[in-house]
Amino acid sequence: MRSEVEEELYSTTARVEAALGKNDIMFSLSPLVEVTYANLISPEILKDTIIYDPSQNEMEEFRELSIFKEIKGKKYKITVRNLIVESEDILIAIILSYMTIIILVFIFLFYFNKARNNKLWLPFFTNLEAMKNFSITSDKPISLVDSEIIEFSELKDEVETLINKVRSDYKNLKHYTEDVSHELQTPLAIIQAKIENIINGDDLNDKQFEHLTSIQKDIQRLTQMNKRLTLLTKIENNQFDNLEIVNMYDRIAITVKNFQELSNVQIQISGDVNLPLVNMDPYLAEVLCNNLVSNALKHSNPDGIVKIFASNKVLSISNQGSKALEHPEKLYSRFYRESELAKSTGLGLAIVHKICQLYKFKISYQFIDGTHSFTVKF
Amino acid sequence: MKILIAEDEIALQQSIATYLEKDGNTCEVASDFNEAVYKVDLYEYDLILLDINLTTGSGLDVLKSLKKKKKESGVIIISANNSLDDKLDGLDLGADDYITKPFHLAELNSRIKAVLRRGKYGGDNTITFNEIKVDTKSRTAYVNGKSLGLTRKEYDLLVFFMTNKGRVLSKEIIAEHLWGDNSDLADNFDFIYVHINNLRKKLTGEGAKYIKTAYGSGYKFIED
Repeated sequence: MRSEVEEELYSTTARVEAALGKNDIMFSLSPLVEVTYANLISPEILKDTIIYDPSQNEMEEFRELSIFKEIKGKKYKITVRNLIVESEDILIAIILSYMTIIILVFIFLFYFNKARNNKLWLPFFTNLEAMKNFSITSDKPISLVDSEIIEFSELKDEVETLINKVRSDYKNLKHYTEDVSHELQTPLAIIQAKIENIINGDDLNDKQFEHLTSIQKDIQRLTQMNKRLTLLTKIENNQFDNLEIVNMYDRIAITVKNFQELSNVQIQISGDVNLPLVNMDPYLAEVLCNNLVSNALKHSNPDGIVKIFASNKVLSISNQGSKALEHPEKLYSRFYRESELAKSTGLGLAIVHKICQLYKFKISYQFIDGTHSFTVKF
Repeated sequence: MKILIAEDEIALQQSIATYLEKDGNTCEVASDFNEAVYKVDLYEYDLILLDINLTTGSGLDVLKSLKKKKKESGVIIISANNSLDDKLDGLDLGADDYITKPFHLAELNSRIKAVLRRGKYGGDNTITFNEIKVDTKSRTAYVNGKSLGLTRKEYDLLVFFMTNKGRVLSKEIIAEHLWGDNSDLADNFDFIYVHINNLRKKLTGEGAKYIKTAYGSGYKFIED
């Protein structure tokens, strides 16, 4: 840029010289061209200078070339100036305009792509949302949208196949337990009936009778297990939709009354007689109380006391035991038994847990100072 | 008494019949839905044991047709399904009782007798055995007209014994009759022993020594 300006200056001086050579006219066009007589021939001067520009009312920067020439015996000083157009301004202007263009393009592309992508990915996100809302326990059909994009379309087909498979497997599993339990009842009934006929038939000896009653006991265990498995499945299948206000204090008091006849362990019950109202299926409330109390009685020290507290917020049941559970995390697993001592089905607490899950009650277990306690928060 | 057993499992049907015939009942059997409808339609029974899941139809439909014909037989429903809905459906349709498989024959027998007692003809609210008389309405037992003052459990126990007289009853059966599903808690059966002993004492105190031990650990209610 600078050299261009200088070249122009030199070219202008050359023209001025040529003009002076032709006719001796002193002309000036201040501040661009000034011709004056000089006394001495000095070397040319090239410099920057600042001159006031009245038209713009500001100081402007000029490039100035002054050369001294003797033309036709006369000495001249030729000063040529060129306004240095503010190159930084230009630069800034250029950069700014570029940037503006880039930004505009960027914004345009951004929104353009966004709109396009939205349209493109819409089926994908719709399906993703549908999959997020998918629940294996509900029978609501999942509605997926098709897409023109092959990958999305394939994905949709695969997801649909998977969901149908998972659904049918889940259904089979759900019915399996119920079916098995159901189908077992009749053979059990036959065995039981036959044993009773044998017992009442021809004379037996004491040993044979003992064996037969032991079989009766095992049949009873099987029956219990069956009943509880069916109950678990029914709770899982949401077959208990009868909601009633249950007074937990009354409920647990009835349970305690039933159990007191069957156990030497003392049971103490406290709480608010009028307040403990909980909204749940009355049958499940009975099962919940029965299982918790029977669990406490089974695992209590023979001379211990089972303490029960019932309010409208919590139901807590505690019993004294010798040592903490080895695997408290497995407490609610099916068929988990900490000891073989008590012949339980291993399903009582699993059922309690399921009932709590169904009604979103919080159940917790603690072992402090030789006392096992269960707390259900309603 | 004339009893119809509508049950498609032949083995169970025969076992029930064997047990009930020992008491002098006449048992007829129906092995499927059509046979049950046919027999119910044609004959009069004092009591019908009705399986809900008959192979070719529902026992509940047999019950409906029975009620439509205004027959007065007592009905006990037998079901493999321990669901409350089934139970309520059956009782709503006019069944007298409901029992879930598997059951003890002694328990079934006890229920049959209870239904027959409540029955419209010939039924009264008393069970009598020699000098013992039980009033099932007021739930009191008398020996020679003198009240025994039994507790609730002792009363239940006596009725259970009397309705199954001459049968060997194991502690398992007794426990289940008295405490139902909770009986598994009574692990050593000490509690049954206590109740039986108390009942025995009260009866023998009045000279009624009918509760005998059988095979060491079972019980039998029988005349000497």
